[in-house]
Amino acid sequence: MSPDLPSSSLPAAPDANRVDGANGATGANGGGAGSNLLPGALTGLAALLFAFLPLFLNAFAGSSAPYWLDVVNTVGLYTILALSLNVILGHAGMFHMGHAAFFAIGAYATAILNLSYGWSIIATMPVAALAAGAVALVLAWPIIHLRGDYLLIVTIGIVEIVRIALTNNIFGLTGGSNGLVGIARPSVFGFRITRPQHFFYFIWIVVGLTMLLFHWLENSRFGRALKFIKEDTVAAENMGVNTSRYKLMAFVVGAAWAGLAGTIFASRMRTISPESFVFSESVLLFTIVILGGKGSQKGVLLGSFLVMGLPEFFRGFEDKRLLVFGAALVVMMIFRPQGLLPSKPARYRLPDPWPGKLSGAPAAEPVTANGKRAQNGAAATGAAGALSEPSGPQGSDPQSPGPQGPGA
Amino acid sequence: MQILSLSSLTKTFGGLVAVAGVSCGVDRGAVVGLIGPNGAGKTTVFNLITGSIKPDDGHIFFSGHSIRGLRPHRIVKLGIARTFQTIRLFQGLSALENVLSGCHCRMRSGLVASLLRLPGQRREERLVIDRAMGELEFVGLANLWRATAGSLAYGDQRRLEIARALATEPKLLILDEPAGGMNEQETYELRQLIEAIRKRDITVLLIEHDMGFVMSVCDRVLVMENGILIAQGTPQEIQTNPKVIEAYLGLDDD
Repeated sequence: MSPDLPSSSLPAAPDANRVDGANGATGANGGGAGSNLLPGALTGLAALLFAFLPLFLNAFAGSSAPYWLDVVNTVGLYTILALSLNVILGHAGMFHMGHAAFFAIGAYATAILNLSYGWSIIATMPVAALAAGAVALVLAWPIIHLRGDYLLIVTIGIVEIVRIALTNNIFGLTGGSNGLVGIARPSVFGFRITRPQHFFYFIWIVVGLTMLLFHWLENSRFGRALKFIKEDTVAAENMGVNTSRYKLMAFVVGAAWAGLAGTIFASRMRTISPESFVFSESVLLFTIVILGGKGSQKGVLLGSFLVMGLPEFFRGFEDKRLLVFGAALVVMMIFRPQGLLPSKPARYRLPDPWPGKLSGAPAAEPVTANGKRAQNGAAATGAAGALSEPSGPQGSDPQSPGPQGPGA
Repeated sequence: MQILSLSSLTKTFGGLVAVAGVSCGVDRGAVVGLIGPNGAGKTTVFNLITGSIKPDDGHIFFSGHSIRGLRPHRIVKLGIARTFQTIRLFQGLSALENVLSGCHCRMRSGLVASLLRLPGQRREERLVIDRAMGELEFVGLANLWRATAGSLAYGDQRRLEIARALATEPKLLILDEPAGGMNEQETYELRQLIEAIRKRDITVLLIEHDMGFVMSVCDRVLVMENGILIAQGTPQEIQTNPKVIEAYLGLDDD
């Protein structure tokens, strides 16, 4: 496999695929796509440079290169986890602080299937995801209607229950507090992933895929439904969104993806034990999403680097670095509660001065909607100008063909 | 033919009887007003119809089906859409996205199609955005599609709420004080809009305190007081009904 090729499109991929369109300052005309190419190209360049990171590290970091690569891999793994939590916390707005539980279920599913049944690591991946998703479904079913702080407390309970169950060697499968040892390495198309630079490409390709898929998910009927729920659950329900079902689905999708990250974790560490999945891991993930910006992929990426990567630079201060970290969080929440890189509004590719659907649609019977706002004076230039009678700015008589009834 | 019928609908909150055995019907294609002094139980009736709260007793039939006890999203899918007394838009989202929320229940793309952006999903997205823009155009807000709902002028927000409700492709549209807080010009435009909605073969049931508005726009008027339906009839009948006059006279009510 040629790792740097696919990875070059990693974090860039979501941007390249963004539903682009005029998004500049309000009032700007539907600009050319050119104005949106620059950020996309920059992200692509950054991703390309990032793909060469192992080489840079080898060249400049010398003997500590594998260590720093491991740090970057940890950041990648937590990015996957935080992106999955982002679906639940960022998009659906559910306060879930038990994400480590589903991470653990995925990791243990992989470990058990690999050690006891000899499955290959990659084959365990979908099972790990399904197992985490299934447990999430069962656990979240009765609690999904809980709001805010109440849900938070219950999810803390979940992560504790899972950890204690693992420690007590549940079903005799989890190896108790010693955990499970000797998990195999993954191999992709016959290529065995063993060294940090292998894992670098493996993990960051998964990060890129996750970003792409979740970006698509965000900008779809499903993602919008979550957004409506987050904004106003009552209004969403009254507009026809099955709010409890969508909340549950968001929870299950997020959990399943955490399970998938568990597979990577298990095969990277080769040894897993309950202490890898304690409550503070959940808090860390929660922090990444909140710090970076709820609902924002770039924010989550940045948050992962800050929370998981930055402290490594201050190893020398050992315990004091957590103090600084805590203080930084407090300051952040006071001055930038929306996160470092808050999510941006979705973009839709539409002409900004809307020309009207005068052509196309089978001529609907003209309906008088007198509330019709002044058709922007410039609309005369619109393509539909031929059909529209440009109405005066304050016109109270514009005839606007409404859409047909239901089904137009 | 009646599209909606209520029979001995009752709802109590603790000791307070908000709706006491209301029975009435709404004819298909009509514009019906529900009036009454504050606290008469009008909004409670709306909440019962749309499933936001569950009745203690009585029945609700919509197009021949009993919809009592169904959750709101199911009722929306059957064809009843509403607006709220206090505007309840998704304030942080664009006007277009607000209308897209109404389209949700008529869409089919599921989780997998969304996650993988399958061709059918993309086609549906295009169609539905087109339809949402059509509804925005219908209420005269097409040029503001990108504006955040919360940034719109008050009258525009009211209209956006109507567009959002229309996007659910309702057979019955329920408007809770649509003219509340509107100036004369906006009220006039709203009247035109309701006429246009009626032409789309959508039945309208509305609560309104502006009597001039109700009398000019409605075919029939229902009058509630203290949870009881005290009168119903054409606007002319209602204006001369002694019970209604009594309910309203001397009341310090807007």
